[in-house]
Amino acid sequence: MADANHKNDDSQIVGLLTEYQMPLVVYVRSLMPGDPSANDVVQQANARIWEKRSEFRLGSNFRAWSFAIARFEVLNHRKRQARDARLTFSEDLEQTISSELASLEDDVLSRHEALRQCLGSLKAKSRQLLMQRYGSTESLAEFATRRGRSVGGLKVSLNRLRTSLAECIERKLLVEESR
Amino acid sequence: MTPKEQTELIDALLDGDISEADFLRIEAELSVDADVRKAYYNRMKLDLLLEKEAAEPSVDLATQSPNRPDPKLRSSRVTRAVGIFIVLAATIVGVVFLTTPDTDRDKPTGVTKNEIEPTAIGFALLGGQSDAVWEGQQMGTGSLVPSGELHLKSGLAHLELFSGVQMVIQGDAVFSIDSAMEVSLKRGRVSAHVPDAAHGFRVKTSHGDVVDLGTEFALKVTEESSRVEVVTGEVELHLQGSNTHRMFEGETLELSNAGKTAIAQVEKLSLISPDAFKRELALRQSDHFKRWQSHAESLRHDNRLVAYYRVDSKQPLSRQLTNLADSDGAKAGNGAIVACERTKNRWGHADGALDFSRMGSRVRVNVQGEYRGVTLLCWVKINSLDRQFNSLFLTDGHELQEPHWQIMDDGRLFFSVKKYDKKTKSTRTRNKHNFYSPVFWDSSLSGKWLMLATVYDVDAKQVTHYVNGEAIGIESVPDDYLVETVRIGSASIANWSEPMYRTDPEFVVRNLNGSIDEFALFAGALSSEEIAEHFRIGNPN
Repeated sequence: MADANHKNDDSQIVGLLTEYQMPLVVYVRSLMPGDPSANDVVQQANARIWEKRSEFRLGSNFRAWSFAIARFEVLNHRKRQARDARLTFSEDLEQTISSELASLEDDVLSRHEALRQCLGSLKAKSRQLLMQRYGSTESLAEFATRRGRSVGGLKVSLNRLRTSLAECIERKLLVEESR
Repeated sequence: MTPKEQTELIDALLDGDISEADFLRIEAELSVDADVRKAYYNRMKLDLLLEKEAAEPSVDLATQSPNRPDPKLRSSRVTRAVGIFIVLAATIVGVVFLTTPDTDRDKPTGVTKNEIEPTAIGFALLGGQSDAVWEGQQMGTGSLVPSGELHLKSGLAHLELFSGVQMVIQGDAVFSIDSAMEVSLKRGRVSAHVPDAAHGFRVKTSHGDVVDLGTEFALKVTEESSRVEVVTGEVELHLQGSNTHRMFEGETLELSNAGKTAIAQVEKLSLISPDAFKRELALRQSDHFKRWQSHAESLRHDNRLVAYYRVDSKQPLSRQLTNLADSDGAKAGNGAIVACERTKNRWGHADGALDFSRMGSRVRVNVQGEYRGVTLLCWVKINSLDRQFNSLFLTDGHELQEPHWQIMDDGRLFFSVKKYDKKTKSTRTRNKHNFYSPVFWDSSLSGKWLMLATVYDVDAKQVTHYVNGEAIGIESVPDDYLVETVRIGSASIANWSEPMYRTDPEFVVRNLNGSIDEFALFAGALSSEEIAEHFRIGNPN
């Protein structure tokens, strides 16, 4: 019966949307790096995907389909923001990013696991700094001022911490892979 | 570039704190080097995950102690499901707030402030309703159900929760949807169909909770007691204290503050199931459709009707739109369909509407004669307003005495009739007066059918904009901009032709990103009652 199918489809779309939420966020952010409105655009894309759900053929590539919608939302957003235009990547680079992220294996979950372990091995003070920075919506400059630090010094600290976390994560992923 | 420089630039990029020169440097690297891109993606994921950790630190990290199970939640499966759906519902719903257009952008003056409220937050959609009367603002079918306590005074409402749970609620009922997996019912009757994916769905009452284990059940709650009836499958009752009790197919129990009592051989709650309700609604809609058809048939003979186009779902290949107006006043020819594709109309009939989203799509019409005022009306489904001007009905070019009807990208209706040309304009700054409605559209209305109408009333010297039968803005026509006889000639529905005096594509591309299934043009002004009636009978919901 058509009704039952429809119901079924909706719950499957909910499942897919949930499953691909992180890749979608990564994708949108990669097109608008450092732009705080990226989250809004993701929301917008989610809503649009939900509205268009009847157009999605179950069994086809949800990631590619949802990315195409998200890309459109990014462009739309830029159009609205045209007055205070941010720097944007070239069309070619955006195309490359789109096709790479649509085909790359999604490893966010295993990265999350690894990050948790790696965070545990950081010094408490470093961990605290990271959590405060990432839990705050202030600009880097505001955040630095509040903590009585120079922006340059803070940048260096954060860069180092990220790099050591990144190295730790890569090591853990490698170990996991070779297991 | 050294790896260190690279990560510094990527960090600056992700922090949104990068100079243009550095941006171009890292962009060049990203463009040519797949490894740099990989580093960029990974750094991005790290950022994202750190944000996640900062927002909700993993238990063992925050407390340095082993997981403490939350006593309120019975199984990790449910916890996860609830979490996911709440996140999802929040992402879907969140957009409503984030995308409400800024309404103060060059807002016109002299317009009544009666904006349609943006849809509120919620975890469910109103799937259908039958004679439903809500306390406070009435809810439209297909809209999000707001959070907080709701009072369905009478009638039936069908709710689709984002978890997949389907519910029919019968008024008089007071309830709230606390999440996609939890509903509180103060009083009233409910039947619920719970799919496998939503096992653990809970209805809270003051006498205990009903937790569904994959089934259909009905519930009647009064102040004194709650009666639970399992239609199929199984439910678990969570009574006051920590008592639980399983119920199986066909069982009926009454819960009160005194405890539970088995009830045998009483009359069933006889509440319609969600599936049956949907079938009934479909039947009603087809009745409704027939009623509208007969209304439309009598409308054809209205003497004021100049042009009346309806997309005929039975002729999916026809490129002609017959002018159905059968009155002496009909001076419009048949419409010619250009580029449009067929799509579902507002009644859900395939091929019953024209989709204008493809560039160049339009319906060409020709309307002879002169009219003392006009009324324009159409049923439209807008996907998005991604052009500066989004056409509804525009005469070719923009000659003297001709109307233009369109929607601005910020969600306002626009109507104008050209009064002056270059020769006559000399002492005035503008050649016409633009009548804007308040903002009526935002993306929460995307994909929904709406009835739009604008009345240019020469005698009353005013322009009124209507959405779904209700006036949203009335503005007087300034004396020196009043055009007593309106002319149309060649025109397009949902696009603009022959833009003679502008060539920039941004301005010229005006096709509507949306669909239309009915369009009417009347000579003179329809009354607000007539517009409301047209909406009432033509509204499929």
